[in-house]
Amino acid sequence: MIRFWKTGKILAVSSPGGHWVQLNKICHKLEARHPVVYASPRSQYALKKDAQRVVHNILDVSADNKLLLIPLAFQLLYLFFRERPQTILSTGAAPGVVAVFLGKYLGIHTIWVDSIANVQQLSRSGRMVKNYADVVITQWPSLSDGETVLHKGAVL
Amino acid sequence: MIFVATGTQFPFDRLVRYMDEWAAEQDEPVFAQLGEGCYLPRHVQWERFISLDEYTAKIKQASVFISHAGMGNIISARENATPIIVINRQADLGEHRNDHQREGLAWMGKLDGVYTATTRQELYQQLEQRNTLTAASMETESRLDELVDYVDSFVTRWHNE
Repeated sequence: MIRFWKTGKILAVSSPGGHWVQLNKICHKLEARHPVVYASPRSQYALKKDAQRVVHNILDVSADNKLLLIPLAFQLLYLFFRERPQTILSTGAAPGVVAVFLGKYLGIHTIWVDSIANVQQLSRSGRMVKNYADVVITQWPSLSDGETVLHKGAVL
Repeated sequence: MIFVATGTQFPFDRLVRYMDEWAAEQDEPVFAQLGEGCYLPRHVQWERFISLDEYTAKIKQASVFISHAGMGNIISARENATPIIVINRQADLGEHRNDHQREGLAWMGKLDGVYTATTRQELYQQLEQRNTLTAASMETESRLDELVDYVDSFVTRWHNE
């Protein structure tokens, strides 16, 4: 199974808004080094016209509409088998949690960068994935526990 | 022109109303992105959602950008060299799930080019002195590079395994 994902490709997944802006800041730099494809709700508002980027539209799921988690999971599974990412990278929130759980189960590597907006504690979605993702990064030094959650730079 | 944006996830009618009432008394044109809000302003031009290209163009054109205290808009304002005033959503008014925006104001306000308000009065005070607000200077990206290099180190290692 692991071999199937050995494409070097990154699937970058997030909610729209601030999560998406942070994901883009990170991935714009990664694009020079690895193939990157994206999945986000409302991607019709997120596309830069001049860019040749692949952005898949997914359901806009949040803590308020949990029933949509199931169809979202199927959308993501479809994307996984279509794009065969070796790494899933997410800045949150709910779509990232689903992607990390599914990816972990299928043998895809997972990286979580917790949103810089969460200052006093890890985001709720970050706390959900912190024992599942291969790498969990906080953008605040005070939120690192030195083991599972590490502080390594920030988008600002 | 003043650009107002309420974010993507929830409406922020209170901010739109504050800006509508402010615009009624002023000559300065105001444009707002409302999202799914119910309050439709009368003194402010608006759209519910606009494309990223239009959104970026509005930020660039605006003399000042007014927003909920969301990271996306703070980053966009800084990248486009427009000063931003942020006002936090309040969980007790049903404007967000929790008060992380209120908690974030303290450090947001320390960022170059970012101004904060928690009430209508503070927002109007910031607006009053809008001509003196300054945008962020070109930021250094050393912290972003550290983050990207760390992520890259895993992606590269896994690919080479």
